Amino acid sequence: MTINPDLQYTKSHEWIRMDGDIAVIGISDFAQDALGDLVFVNLPEIGDNVTAGESFGDVESVKAVSDLISPVTGTVCEINEELLDAPEMLNNDPYGAWIIKVNNIDGAEDLLDPAAYEEHCASEA
Amino acid sequence: MNELKRTQLYDAHLTAGATMVDFGGWEMPIQYPEGIVAEHLFTRHSCSLFDVSHMGRLRVEGPDAVAFLQHVLTSNVLALDLNQAQYCIIPAEDGSAVDDAYLYRFYQDWYLLVVNAANTEKDLAHLLPISKAFDVKITNISADYASIAVQGPKSRDLLTILSGGEAVTEPVKNALNILPLEGHEAWIAKTGYTGEPLGYEVFIKAEDARWLWDRLLELGAKPAGLGARDTLRLEAGMPLYGHEMGLDAEGKPMPIFAVSLARFAVSFSENKGNYIGRKPLEKQAAANRRILNRDFAPDALSALPRRIRPITLLDRGVMRAGMPVYKGEKLVGFVTSGTMVPYYVTEGEGLSTEILETTGKRAIGMAYLDSDLLDFDEVMVDIRGKRVKAGIPPYHMRVDAPPFARPILYDKLAVAEPAKSEGDNSGKAVSLLFAAVENHLWRQRCCINLIPSENTPSKAVQLLCASDPSFRYAEHKKIKSFYDADVFYYQGTKFIDRVEQLLVQEMRRYFGCTEVETRVISGQMSNMAVFSALMDWKNRLDRKNTPARLGYVLNNHIIKGGHLSAQPMGALHDYIAVDPVTERSAVVNFPVCKDNMFKIDVEETKKVIAEYRPELIIFGKSMVLHKEPVAEIRKFVDEQAIPTTIMYDMAHVLGLIGDSFQKPFEEGAEIVTGSTHKTFFGPQRGVIGTNWTKDDLKYGLWNTIETRAFPGSVSNHHLGTQLGLLMAAYEMNQFKDEYQKAIIHNAKHFAKALKAQGLDVKGDPSIDYTETHQVIVGVGYGAGPEIAERLEKNNIIVNYQAIPDEEGFTASGALRMGMSEMTRFGFGDAEFDRLAELMAACILENKDISKEVCALRGEHLDMKYCFSGAEFDQALSKLSALIEK
Repeated sequence: MTINPDLQYTKSHEWIRMDGDIAVIGISDFAQDALGDLVFVNLPEIGDNVTAGESFGDVESVKAVSDLISPVTGTVCEINEELLDAPEMLNNDPYGAWIIKVNNIDGAEDLLDPAAYEEHCASEA
Repeated sequence: MNELKRTQLYDAHLTAGATMVDFGGWEMPIQYPEGIVAEHLFTRHSCSLFDVSHMGRLRVEGPDAVAFLQHVLTSNVLALDLNQAQYCIIPAEDGSAVDDAYLYRFYQDWYLLVVNAANTEKDLAHLLPISKAFDVKITNISADYASIAVQGPKSRDLLTILSGGEAVTEPVKNALNILPLEGHEAWIAKTGYTGEPLGYEVFIKAEDARWLWDRLLELGAKPAGLGARDTLRLEAGMPLYGHEMGLDAEGKPMPIFAVSLARFAVSFSENKGNYIGRKPLEKQAAANRRILNRDFAPDALSALPRRIRPITLLDRGVMRAGMPVYKGEKLVGFVTSGTMVPYYVTEGEGLSTEILETTGKRAIGMAYLDSDLLDFDEVMVDIRGKRVKAGIPPYHMRVDAPPFARPILYDKLAVAEPAKSEGDNSGKAVSLLFAAVENHLWRQRCCINLIPSENTPSKAVQLLCASDPSFRYAEHKKIKSFYDADVFYYQGTKFIDRVEQLLVQEMRRYFGCTEVETRVISGQMSNMAVFSALMDWKNRLDRKNTPARLGYVLNNHIIKGGHLSAQPMGALHDYIAVDPVTERSAVVNFPVCKDNMFKIDVEETKKVIAEYRPELIIFGKSMVLHKEPVAEIRKFVDEQAIPTTIMYDMAHVLGLIGDSFQKPFEEGAEIVTGSTHKTFFGPQRGVIGTNWTKDDLKYGLWNTIETRAFPGSVSNHHLGTQLGLLMAAYEMNQFKDEYQKAIIHNAKHFAKALKAQGLDVKGDPSIDYTETHQVIVGVGYGAGPEIAERLEKNNIIVNYQAIPDEEGFTASGALRMGMSEMTRFGFGDAEFDRLAELMAACILENKDISKEVCALRGEHLDMKYCFSGAEFDQALSKLSALIEK
C-alpha cells in the first residue's frame, strides 16, 4: 500500500489536495485495495453543493457499494467524467485519478497528514 | 474469526494471498490478489480453481435410499443412472425450498448429496428426523473429502494431463467418472456453478486436496474466489439459495417454480409418491404452464405471483439485491442478485465469431418479478432513490457453442426490421446467373470435394432430373380391389408410372430384397415414414385409444457417430415414447468399444438388448468407419427370441451395399433406409427397402410403410429426380463392383497417406483405419471449424466433426472426409497421395495450396462409372439440346 506524501487524508480514506482555492478529491490506495475491482462511480453534478463529512457520491465494486465522503463543504466545480467509462482508473492510479474538484470552500473535516493517515490505516488493517 | 471453520485448502488460499471472509460460518477466499474481474475473465477463457470444500457432502445409503430421496427431493431419483448427476431441490411442505442441491451417483449402492455450506446443519436437521421412517443411513462425509471445481475452456485439457490421457468423463453435462489422477483416486463430475460448458467438480480425499490444487496451478490454472463464483453464476443465470430461493425481499417464501430450472429439477413421476411439497408444487407447475402460455388470469398467478427473471440495466448504474423494480409507477418486484459483470468483446458473426482481448462490462442481475411481465419489457430499478431503465432479456449467456460460454448482450437481441422491397429484379436475375456460373465452375472444376454425404451425379442423371417430369404430379395408390394395382389420380402419368416401376425393380435388384419404396424424397423422410409405420403397425389392433409410441429403441448415440435422422431430436421425435420411470425418451444407445469408440461393442450390446428388449434396433451412422454388426445381433435376438425389428439406416453407405462392404438383408436386417446421393450415384432422394414376403406377418408393416410414404409423407414425390434416380440405379447395378472396391481401397490408402504425412488419423490402424468411404482426422480439440474453413479457402471441401469424446460441433476437433466424389472423378493412389501431402502442408504448416489443389482437380474432370458410347452420347445430346432450347 502506498501513501502519497503530498496529500492530506480523511479517516474514511479520501485524499485531498488544495490547488489554489480549489480542493481536488480522490480515494486512497488503501481504499481502492479494500474495495476491490471498481466497476462503477456515481458522481455529483457540477454546481451541486457538498458538505464535509457527508456523501457526495459512491463507488461500486463487484462486491458492494461504498459512499464517497466529502472532506470539505463547497460547490462541485469539475467532475472527472473519464471515470464514468473507466472506473478501474481508481484501482490502477488512485492518486492520479481525482474524482471531483470543489470551490467556494466553506469548512472542512479534520484532515490527517500522511504519517497520521498511515497510523490510521495500520489500525484498520 | 477464530470460530470459523476452515477447509482442507485454507493454507493454499493464504499462500496465494487471498482475502478471507466469513461465508456461512466458513473462512473462505472472497478473492485473490488479481481481483474478481480478472478471475471471472480467466475462468471464461482459460481455467479457474474454486475451493468448494465448504459445501456439505452427505452420503445416503441403505435399502430405502431411493425411496427416502424420492420423498425429500424434487427430482426423479429413479432416472439417475450410475455415473450421472442431477440437480434437485430439497422442498418444504409449502412448496418453497429448504435448499437446492446436487445428487451424484458414483456408485451403484449409495448416493452423494451435496448441499450449500451455510445450509448443511439446517438441511441435516430437516432430513434426519424424516429419515427415521426409512431404512436409510445419512453420513456427513464433508470432512473426509475436499471438492475442487475446475472450470473453464481449458479444464478438460488440464484434467486430461492428470488422467494420463484417459477421457475425464463422457462429454455430456452431469456425466460422472472415477479416475486416478496421477495415482490419486478422484470422483469427477461434469458439473459446475459457472455456466462453463467445460467444467468439472472433483471430489478428492482430504489428504490429496492440496496436491491436486497445487498440481492444477502448476499446469496453468488460477485460483478464483467466492466473488468470481458469484458473478459467474449470476451471468449464467443460476439461482443462489438466499437470493433466488428461500425468502423474498418482503420475507415471504418463494415458490420453487419461481426459478425456471425447477422445470427440470421437479418431477411428478408416479414413482415419487406423495413426496414433501408435491401438492403445492403441482399447483405451481400448473400455474407455470398457464403463465408461459401468457394466461395471466388471477387464479393462474395466485400460485406463482412472481418469477425469477434475468434483468439488465440499460442506463448507467449497478443494481443490488433488494432494490425495488417498477413498471411505470407500479412496484413489480425486487432485484435478487445484481452486480457488474465483465465480458470479452467479440467480432464477426456465427461460427467465425472471434473472441477479442478487449473487455467490456455490463450491469446485470436477477429479479423476482410479477409473472405477467414479458421478455423485453422495460422496467425501472430504484437504485438508492434514482430510477434507472432496465430490460428483461430471456438470458444473459448461452452455452450451446462449446468450448466457450457466450455472453449475450441485450442490445444485440433486438428484433430485426423487416426487409424493404426494392422494385425491379432484372439486375438481380442477371447477377444470380453469374453467381451460379461462378459457383458451379468453382465446385466442379477447382474444388476437391471430400464431404462424405455428397457426390456429383453423372451428366445423364443431371439432365434427366431437369427434364419434363420434374414439373409434374403423379400421386398414386395401390387399390386392393384391383389386386394391388396402382391407381393414378392424374392423367399424363404413364411415362413416370413406367419409370417408377423400373426404378423399384432396379432398386430391389440392388438391395437384394422383395419390396422397395422410392417416393420418399430424402433419407430423413425415409426414416420418418418407417417410424410412423412402425408406430401405426404397433397400434393397428387398437384404434380406439391414443396410439402408443415406440420404445425402447436402440440406436447409435449422436456423439458416437449416430445419424441425426435416427435420433429423438431428428426423425424419431414424434414417434418415440417417454419412459415413465426415467421421464426421458425411451432410447438406449449401442455401447462402443473402450479402445475404439467408433466401433459397436457387440458383447455389451447383447446385455443392453437383454435388459431393455428394444422393439426397434437401428443400425447406421453418419460418422462411420466400421461395418455394423448386423449378423451378430440378428443371431442374438433370434436365439433369445426377443421380438424386435432390425433396421439399418444406410444413409451414408447405401452405395456400398455388396461384397466389399455389407449385404444388410443377407445379414438379417428387415428394413433398410438410405439417401441416394452420398455413396450412391443418385440425385438427392430417399429410399426404403424391406425383405418380407406376402406370407410374412410383417408384410402388413410393409403395406403400412407404403401408406406412410404416400399419402403419409409426400403428395408430390419430385418426379424429375425420380427419373434421374432410375439412371443412377442403372449405373450402380452396372458399375458397383469396381466402384465399391475402388472407394474402400481409396479410403484406406488416403488414411495411410495422411498418417504418413504426420496427421492424426482416427480409427483402428490394423484395418487401415476404415472399412467405409470415410476417413476421420483429428486436428486438435476445438480446431475443427477453423481448419475446415482454412481448407475451403484452399479449395478443399471437408466437414468438421465432433468425435466421440467431444462436446458438440462447435467444439469439434476432427475433419470427416469421404472418398465418393473424387473416386468417381477417377482419383486413385497417386492423386490421394498428392492430396494427403497438400492437406498436411495446409493443416500443419498453414501453407497456401489453393493453386495446387485447383490444378489437381483440373486434371480429373471426366466422370467414371457411368455410361458412354456413340449411341448413348447421341441420345444424351438430344436431351441436353431440348432442355437448353
